[in-house]
Amino acid sequence: MPHIDIELEKLQEKLLEMWDVVDYQLVSSREAVLNHDLELTRKVVKLGKKVNRFDVKIDRQCENFFALFNPVAVDLRQVLATLKINANLERIGDTAEGICRIVEKLKEPVSKELAEESRLLEMYDKALSMFTAARKVFVTYDAEAAREVLKQDKLLNKIYRKSDKVIASYMSENPEGVETGLHLYNIIKKIERVGDQVTNIAEEIIFYHDAKVMKHKSRKKKDKE
Amino acid sequence: MSKKEYKLEAKELNAYYGGFHALKGINIAMEEKTVTAFIGPSGCGKSTFLRTFNRMNDYIEGFRVEGEILLDSRDIYDKKVRVDELRKEVGMVFQKPNPFPKSIFENVVYGLKIQGIKKKSVLEEAAERTLRQAALWDEVKDKLQKSALALSGGQQQRLCIARALASQPSVLLMDEPASALDPISTAKVEELIYELKKEYTIVIVTHNMQQAGRVSDYTAFFYIGELVEYSKTKAMFTSPKDTRTQNYITGRFG
Ligand SMILES: Nc1ncnc2c1ncn2[C@@H]1O[C@H](COP(=O)(O)OP(=O)(O)OP(=O)(O)O)[C@@H](O)[C@H]1O
Ligand SMILES: [Mg+2]
Repeated sequence: MPHIDIELEKLQEKLLEMWDVVDYQLVSSREAVLNHDLELTRKVVKLGKKVNRFDVKIDRQCENFFALFNPVAVDLRQVLATLKINANLERIGDTAEGICRIVEKLKEPVSKELAEESRLLEMYDKALSMFTAARKVFVTYDAEAAREVLKQDKLLNKIYRKSDKVIASYMSENPEGVETGLHLYNIIKKIERVGDQVTNIAEEIIFYHDAKVMKHKSRKKKDKE
Repeated sequence: MSKKEYKLEAKELNAYYGGFHALKGINIAMEEKTVTAFIGPSGCGKSTFLRTFNRMNDYIEGFRVEGEILLDSRDIYDKKVRVDELRKEVGMVFQKPNPFPKSIFENVVYGLKIQGIKKKSVLEEAAERTLRQAALWDEVKDKLQKSALALSGGQQQRLCIARALASQPSVLLMDEPASALDPISTAKVEELIYELKKEYTIVIVTHNMQQAGRVSDYTAFFYIGELVEYSKTKAMFTSPKDTRTQNYITGRFG
């Protein structure tokens, strides 16, 4: 294998390692919300430090790669995409941490009914499946599947847009649950952010493989391509 | 809308060395005052193609071309075209600096003397102007009568560029002009190309991908006698269309 491919492979491996840590953070944050598991929230927060170290390490690896290999074409796009995916993974990790900090403020687990009604679980599962799908297309590229990830984000946005009404009505019916309602709303907002961040990642993967810039495109155009 | 005028064009150009088909159906059009880089693996025909623009191949036994090469929309292989006039218009710089074993001054004004210009003041004025253009004046102004062979390789190459500029061409063909130079001389030649493109249309053959990226506006990738891809340099180095181009510029050929 050419020297340059060995370096690119190392870079990909590092990014996937980071991906798995962030995946663990995200899955754990879901458990923590549902079970009010404060043990788990501490773990997620602690892992944030590890993710930060990955972030710095990958940035440095990319910088070295630029300096030593002067990459062009697909190599250049891979390193550029790696930089951006790295930044987005780091932010997803942060978001999972943020959710865990909210859980720490909650006095009790979110009730099943409320989780159901606000579609919190549905959102969480969608975000997680997007995240897994993005990792999969990063490892073995599939243009169709990558675009599918972009589409899935729509559902998250839709649920998010409707959630304020659901939570407002919950709060007016349960005055003692106002605080819980607010926390829940913030969690939903964060999951919606995760959807955006995974979308960014999927866009970078498409850019890397197809040299197509997907970001800041109108939804209609995205769907057409 | 009027048709766009190009400085240099090739239309359905085929070239042969005897029975060997060296260039195959090439079509390209280059705008005035741009730099175009020719890249491609060794033997793909870059130099052959470059030399068709000032008919340098004419001397080669068995060489022939089909199709058209247009300079300012005029076919340069037309019988009415005088090759010496053409060479004045289309200057050339080679891979290895090739100064004549004469003084620096004589090297620069060589072409002008051949054209019959004898007046000392005119020759001196031309020597200074082109040596300045070639970013060599400050280094040689005190030793114009010294032998050109005593200059360093990088200085010799800039001298050859000055010599090519002396006859006031509008096109400059450069065949790997910096391949024998150290990074500092290379940077000087590249800076020079950047400056010269304000006045000249430049075509440069290079094996250095970063150099193509740094100096050219457009890049043409050749492969076994074919023009595979021709596009803006930025586009080619970020998202080449053809896999052969991609393999070549990323160093994964063969
Ligand atoms: N004088 C000649 N007689 C016969 N064949 C020639 C002659 N000059 C070049 N060729 C052939 O034509 C093809 C193109 O040669 P050319 O010199 O144009 O390649 P190039 O792209 O400039 O290569 P390099 O990067 O090595 O300079 C080659 O196969 C070469 O062998
Ligand atoms: Mg050559």
